Amino acid sequence: MPMYNLYMGCSVPANYPNYEAAMIKVAEAYDIQLEYMEGVACCGSPNLRAIDYLGWLTVNARTLAIAEKNGHDIVTPCNGCFGSLKDVYHFLKHDADYKKKVNAILKKEDLEFKGTITPRHFVEVLYTDIGIKELKKKITKPLDGVGIAIHYGCHLLRPADVTEFRPEYLNELIEVTGASVVEYPLWKQCCGATVLPVDENLGIRLARDKLKSMKESGAVFVTVVCPACGNQLDLQQLGLKESYGEEYNLPVLLYPQILGLALGMDEDEIGLSMNRVPADPILDHLTG
Amino acid sequence: MAETEKPAGPPATLIDPIEMSKLDPKFREEIHSMPNGEELSACFACSTCTAACPIANIWEYKPHQLIRMILLGMREEVLSSSEIWLCLTCFQCQERCPQKVRVTDIFFDCKNLAAKEGKVPPNIVGLGKELLEKGQLYTVTADWEREDMGLEPDVPGLAVDPVKEILKETQTKKLVEGGE
Repeated sequence: MPMYNLYMGCSVPANYPNYEAAMIKVAEAYDIQLEYMEGVACCGSPNLRAIDYLGWLTVNARTLAIAEKNGHDIVTPCNGCFGSLKDVYHFLKHDADYKKKVNAILKKEDLEFKGTITPRHFVEVLYTDIGIKELKKKITKPLDGVGIAIHYGCHLLRPADVTEFRPEYLNELIEVTGASVVEYPLWKQCCGATVLPVDENLGIRLARDKLKSMKESGAVFVTVVCPACGNQLDLQQLGLKESYGEEYNLPVLLYPQILGLALGMDEDEIGLSMNRVPADPILDHLTG
Repeated sequence: MAETEKPAGPPATLIDPIEMSKLDPKFREEIHSMPNGEELSACFACSTCTAACPIANIWEYKPHQLIRMILLGMREEVLSSSEIWLCLTCFQCQERCPQKVRVTDIFFDCKNLAAKEGKVPPNIVGLGKELLEKGQLYTVTADWEREDMGLEPDVPGLAVDPVKEILKETQTKKLVEGGE
């Protein structure tokens, strides 16, 4: 049974308990052991990186150093946390000066970043450590005929030399559920979440462009693997209805919810009622 | 024709000449020595970064121009620009640079320098304050939702004090206090 340090960050536990619960249930179904990490908090997000590089490095190196003590890789369901941890891990492995500075601060807590464990995204663990073949064995309710547009999220894919995540992983993870991947022109584009504190209208415009591109390409559902992207594409649909009179009716599901459905879990188990755009059509499809 | 009688203004394509005396020749070295700035001088101004940027159309200074401005030493203009804060950090520019210039990372360096001078949008300072005082950006408010999902109401293992302690010693505290 593979074991991991579960790093939740702050956004998923506060805003997406359905994501957290669905991930844990999916993990149980495949005998993946996730242990909540002790003594950790927020990764600081790109905002902390922008104003305080050393602080951002240290906060994330601290999380990595705690995981190094028990020797298991870190798993997170959030692209923001994943991006921060991966970037810091990658940078400190190559920069001896900063590593020294960071470890001088961590020494107060008797911690040291060595770079011996790897931070990973939950979906990458599913893809690499469990594998499509094993995942497929437990699918009991295939989502045949469902067209899903994938929003990967910038910090899952880029910089590619840092994140080491390929978009094909998520495509295959969708296809194993029986659903099909709907290609759309703006698949690489940002959801706009990061710019909200500086220019809210710009952030909304980006989400709108994205939703339009998905809808026009024939998507019936959207999947995301990040709470910030989820908020942008799901919650903003309600705002777009109000401010632009535009209705997209694109239910946005976190990936473990989609896999959960294909594993035969019911809607309560994966917290489908907490998704803002009603996901009824997917349920109708499955029962119909 | 009436149009020809109008006094001739400067052609629309003419930009203000660069004030050579205001250039800071050390700026490129400064960025060069910062995290992921090593490849800066490899830029050959092909503007692929600008073509890749989803919001360059609304930027006065385009990504390739900002890189050029750094190389020229236009420190003041770069660090005071709104563009560095509007950057989505989507890394599309960096990903496509044929010269491997880490464009997005370099904009992060610029933001860090701007932060040292207190040139930060108020909402971003607010997020720094949130991290300094609460140790996280989001706090669980609807714990009943967690319980509905069979999760513990409080996030297991959460400890916010160490984050606060670290940020007290680094740039975040100086920035937050400077803004008050």
